[in-house]
Amino acid sequence: MNRRRFLACASCASLLQVASLAQAASGDGWQVPARIPRPDTASDEGGLWALMDREEQKLRRSPFRIQDQQLQSYLQDIACRLGGEHCPDTRVYLVHTPLFNANMAPNGMMQIWSGLMLRADNEAQLAAVLGHEIGHYVARHSVERLRDIKSRSAVGQFMVLFGLVGAVGRFATFAGSFAYSRYHERIADRIGLELMSKAGYDPAEAATVWENLLMELRAKPGGDPTKSNPLFATHPPAEERRETLMRLAETQPGGVTNEVTWQQKVAPYRREWLADEVRRGQHEESIALLTRKIMRSPQVSDYLFTRAEVYRSRAKNADFDDAIRDYQAASATGNEPSETHRGLGLIYRARKQIAEARASFERYLELAPEAPDALMIKSYVEEMKT
Amino acid sequence: MKILIATVLVIILAGCASAVKVSSGENTLGDRLTVTLEGPWNQIKAPGLGPAQIWTMEGMPIDQLLIYTGLKDGEAIHATNSSSKSKTFNFRASMEPDEIVSLFEGMLTRDSSTYKLVKLEPAGFGGGKGFRFEYSLVRKIDNVKLSGVGYGAISQGELFAIVYQAPQLTFFSRHKRRIEQLAVSARIKGVSQKQGT
Repeated sequence: MNRRRFLACASCASLLQVASLAQAASGDGWQVPARIPRPDTASDEGGLWALMDREEQKLRRSPFRIQDQQLQSYLQDIACRLGGEHCPDTRVYLVHTPLFNANMAPNGMMQIWSGLMLRADNEAQLAAVLGHEIGHYVARHSVERLRDIKSRSAVGQFMVLFGLVGAVGRFATFAGSFAYSRYHERIADRIGLELMSKAGYDPAEAATVWENLLMELRAKPGGDPTKSNPLFATHPPAEERRETLMRLAETQPGGVTNEVTWQQKVAPYRREWLADEVRRGQHEESIALLTRKIMRSPQVSDYLFTRAEVYRSRAKNADFDDAIRDYQAASATGNEPSETHRGLGLIYRARKQIAEARASFERYLELAPEAPDALMIKSYVEEMKT
Repeated sequence: MKILIATVLVIILAGCASAVKVSSGENTLGDRLTVTLEGPWNQIKAPGLGPAQIWTMEGMPIDQLLIYTGLKDGEAIHATNSSSKSKTFNFRASMEPDEIVSLFEGMLTRDSSTYKLVKLEPAGFGGGKGFRFEYSLVRKIDNVKLSGVGYGAISQGELFAIVYQAPQLTFFSRHKRRIEQLAVSARIKGVSQKQGT
């Protein structure tokens, strides 16, 4: 097939597919499109796949990839439940990046970032995001976007973006979050919901994901995230999206969330991902996230400890009081991180409450004698003895 | 530091930056810090950099030495852009060494690089009491594994510090002794041996 004929056919197929997917949006009789064959290497779509194949090779070797076979299999299974016959073409990679994101490249490479894993409360919420990304994939939105840009003679702009793909998945982020039009996002939302429902997940969790994210972003100083955050620039207006998802979910009630399984699977990584969250230094967003987590799971000391760390780091107004309250609540659970006592010690030391500071530091050293900062903490204790 | 590196690279490519030789022997940096060098270094100079001086032996972005010569209370430990909405990490004079190291940790992971504190301990710096820390870092932009070492002290409410990082393979060990020597030679004006942080 020559290039021109291929493009014409592909465009027609693409249009037909969009029409069918638009119908899917309305609900009835929609079927998941058939598996996507590997495109002709001489085509624009083939070029896109080749580029993504190279990115995937880098991702496989990346030190940022979380290589836990059990967790990997668990996530792959979720993607397969959603993707159905697209399962053999979907390859899931869990990536250590403390931001809310997942994306799926046109060649089937799917990245899930650790920041999303931290934020999801259950399997159904992750499924909502993955379903949305699979929606972009089955609808071949990346290719549509590429052709749309080409048709506007903006190839240069697109290729500049490709040129910046040094970091793993940068293009995929672009494709997954920024490049799609609001029309594409609406379709992907609806396909995602359909896939969730078919896989037996509760579709109501999709609106919850969106609501939780909005709550975090609204906590950030500087006003309305829908105006300042690029994610929202190309996505449908937040309220519209949430309401649409809720309305669609009402038509397909029921389904599971698998929260208990989810919590068990992510528990070994929780502290590491929470430490990443503190490092982001986005105090207000983190407090909103952690407050939500504490309300949902008040018995989990990690959330209390982490919110205390954020308060201590921000150190404004009553933050030290709030931090002490959370450290103490974490400590009361009996399975608090050892650093809980270091945090208390640092606040007491700043407040010149020497006896309390010493007791807290000594407890920290007792629990974590090999901690990287043990020598520093010992020096504080010695200094306070004099 | 990735943001710093990117900024420096952009500036260099734009032809606005220059590398200036820092000679062996005693050098006064800022108003109050002096260091004695066993050999020459290269300092990157360009508009918009700061608040730390940026030195390199191998060239950017292979290795970087950041030198803080008296950062004041409330100032950011990295270059800031008034139009940028990204988070800034600001020094407070009341900070303990743990908290200062956390500031550097926040700065170094602004690009989602992964950081691990290896050691934090009391150490002399600038002629008085201070602290020393070691860390490892996997840089997000190129997946390179880096090692880092830093020294710091607070004097009269100002932060004096050096932070050096280079790839674990070859470069860090090549220059580590030079960094330790530089740290030992550092003197902060107005600090006596008995003075604490």
